[in-house]
Order: sequence, then C-alpha cells, then structure tokens
Amino acid sequence: MSASKPRLIAVDGIEAAAVIAAARRALGSPARGGISHWDASGVFQELAVADEAAGAPSPRTLLLLYAADLAFRLRWEIRPALAEGYTVVAAPYVETAVAFGRAAGIPAGWLANLFRFAPRPAERRFVHRSGRRNKAGVDGFVGFGCHQMRGKPGGRTPRQIMTGAARELRKLARRNTRKVKVKSFNS
Amino acid sequence: MLHRNGSSALQRARQRARRHFANPARRRGLLIAFEGPDGSGKTTQRKLFKTWLKSEGYDVVTTKWNSSELIKPIIKSRKTVRALSPEEFSLLHGADFRHRVEQTILPALWQGKLVIADRFLFTGLARDVARGLDLDWVLKLYQPLLWPDLVFYFAVSPVTSGKRVTATRLPNFYEAGQDVTHVEDPVESYQHFIARVIREYESLALIFNFITVDAEQSIGDQHRQIRELFLEGQRRPWSEWNLDAVADWLARTGEP
Repeated sequence: MSASKPRLIAVDGIEAAAVIAAARRALGSPARGGISHWDASGVFQELAVADEAAGAPSPRTLLLLYAADLAFRLRWEIRPALAEGYTVVAAPYVETAVAFGRAAGIPAGWLANLFRFAPRPAERRFVHRSGRRNKAGVDGFVGFGCHQMRGKPGGRTPRQIMTGAARELRKLARRNTRKVKVKSFNS
Repeated sequence: MLHRNGSSALQRARQRARRHFANPARRRGLLIAFEGPDGSGKTTQRKLFKTWLKSEGYDVVTTKWNSSELIKPIIKSRKTVRALSPEEFSLLHGADFRHRVEQTILPALWQGKLVIADRFLFTGLARDVARGLDLDWVLKLYQPLLWPDLVFYFAVSPVTSGKRVTATRLPNFYEAGQDVTHVEDPVESYQHFIARVIREYESLALIFNFITVDAEQSIGDQHRQIRELFLEGQRRPWSEWNLDAVADWLARTGEP
C-alpha cells in the first residue's frame, strides 16, 4: 500500500509522446502508483489490422470503442490500484476523446452520456500541441482515429479534425479550471 | 468555424434526407426488425419472410445482430475468454450496431431496398438492462436513433425459450447470462437470465409499440400473420423521427 492518499489524475492531450511525458511528471515516483494508457484492452490494435473491406469506422464508432477500452482500464487497472491505495495517472482519460468527438461534430450531450460511467478525477492536466507536426503523425487516439476514418467524414480532413481537437481541448481545459485542479503544458 | 460549417452541413443533409424519403414518386426503403428472446423462432420466420418478399419483387437486404466485419472479431475474441463486463459488452455491441447502420442499413434504405434486421437495437436494450445497466444510458448510446418501420416481437415464455434453446445444445456463457447470474450451471443460469430479458422486452414492446406475434403458435400461422401485418404497415409514411439518423450519416459520409 502506498503511503500517500490514492488519487486519479487525468492527463489529456493530442500527441501521445507528450501525454506520456506529462503523465510521468504527474506520477513522480513509480512507487507512488502507475500510468493507465489507452488501448490497454487491445481493441484498437485489432482494429488497425482489420480488413479494409470491413469498412472504415466513423467517429461515433471509434468513440464507442474508446469508451469500451476505458471501461476495461477502469475495471482492471484504475479501480484496483486506487483501492490498494495507489495513485493512477490515466493518460489519456475522457477529455481527449471528447475533444476528438467535438471536432468531428458529435453533439456534446451524446459525449457526456457516453462517458457517464467514468469517475471524476481528482486532478486534470492538459497537454497542448505546440503546432509542430508530430513525427509519426498518427499516434495517440486522435491521430489513430483520424487515420482510421479515411476520406473526409463530414467534409473535414483528418488534419482539420486534429486541429479542431486541439482547439476543443484548450476549451475543455479553460472550462475545467473552475471545477478541479488543472495544469496545462505546452508540448 | 468548423462547427458552423458542420451544423450547416447537417441542415443541408436533413433537407436532402426529407426530400429523398418523403418523395411519393420513389419506392422508399423499408426497415423491418425481428425481435425476441433466443428460441422464439424469429430466424425461421425471418427466412420465410425474406423468401416471400423476394417472390413479391422486393430487393431485400438482411442484417444480423453482432455481425459487422469490423467489430464482430473484437467481440468474439473477448467473449471466448469471458473478458467482458456489462459496460464493455454494451459498448462493443453498440459499436457493432453503429457500424452496420452506417455501412449496411442506411445505404440500403437510401437505395430503396427493404432491410430485415434479425435483432435490432432493442436486443441491446433488453440484454443490457437485464445485466443491470441503466436504460437511459444504453438508449442514448444508440443515438441518433433509427426507428424501424415495423418491429415484430416474437413472444414466448421463459420456459419455452429455455426448452427450445437447450433441446440441442448448451447456451454459451454470455447467452446464459452467467457473467451476471454467477450461476455455474448454464441451463439454470439461462432460465434466470432469459426471464429478466423477456421482462425487459415486454416493457419495450409497450413503450415502442412493437407488433407482438405469438411465437407459441404454428410456424405457418405466424408466417401468415407477419405477411398480413406487413401488407397493412408497408404504406406508412416515412417517419420524421429518423431525420437525425439519416442526416448524421449523410453529413459524415457524403453518401451516396
């Protein structure tokens, strides 16, 4: 059991490498707890190797899968660690997916309902894009989603959705400053 | 800017959907759902109905529950190792349904085809609520909602369902609801679980105005009843309730 009080810390951002770096900073000592990454359930790994003939997933389908993966992470990683007195950094957590959904034109009400099962974190941290293009271009949930969708869903290019998601994340960071402790970083 | 463009695209899509489906000069697509517990005989009836429709000149497309090429393998591998919680079960089936709506059902309806759904979103609602999830949460996962023109509900008692399902095989882990009943014997678990599912179905049948077919009568009698009800119901005007679902699909895909 950890000596400190167990806490759930959410770290959200578009670029996976920057999110992971921020998650490590948020956790501090590894003895304090652990980091819960997206796709712990392997859903997206399986999706990535699916036959193209199966059809490209829409933003809604991707978000339902993200929520299923998050439910898995909560069941197997986050809740058990918190119950044992450890701190868990969920990187990313809910807001990354919400930002992606908003950028893809999904109604806020649908997104709020989708993630209703996820507990509120004690602290939220946001990692904002610097504007530089990520080397891989497709890492992290948002990049993966844009890559998977193919074409221009809703007339928006993947790049527009990436940019839109970054903008939405900034809005969410501003909105959340009134509710819980928030830290924002520029990657 | 992106949102303003997005909402005007949605408005245009709504107008386009209304023009397309409400045009009396065009044979519009029809969506018929077959719902009911396992062992209610709906698949037999669906096959008979499809054969008859084709003989009547309808262009028929069938879609089954949990059958999308993209999501089905993901669900199957997790069911095999019994790794799904009720939430994950619900969300993955919701993803499978959404993918089929966008890839199969709406394109077929747009082309004026008749779609028969062997189980529809009501299956998700009945099973998920029977697993203890909140109806409101589950229903909203399926938004924007696409309502069938007709829903045939094949009503059987839990005892009949149990007898028919276990006559030739043992129900599998999730079919028997062993993830929530925690009863070791699959047959006993199935009896507990299917009673809950049927209770949920009966509530849904009232709320959503299903056409109930007595699935304990003979196969021939059921088939005749379905034909008659279909002929009465097929001339219903297009439901404006579906505007959001069609517009959402049109705006995202630009189809056709």
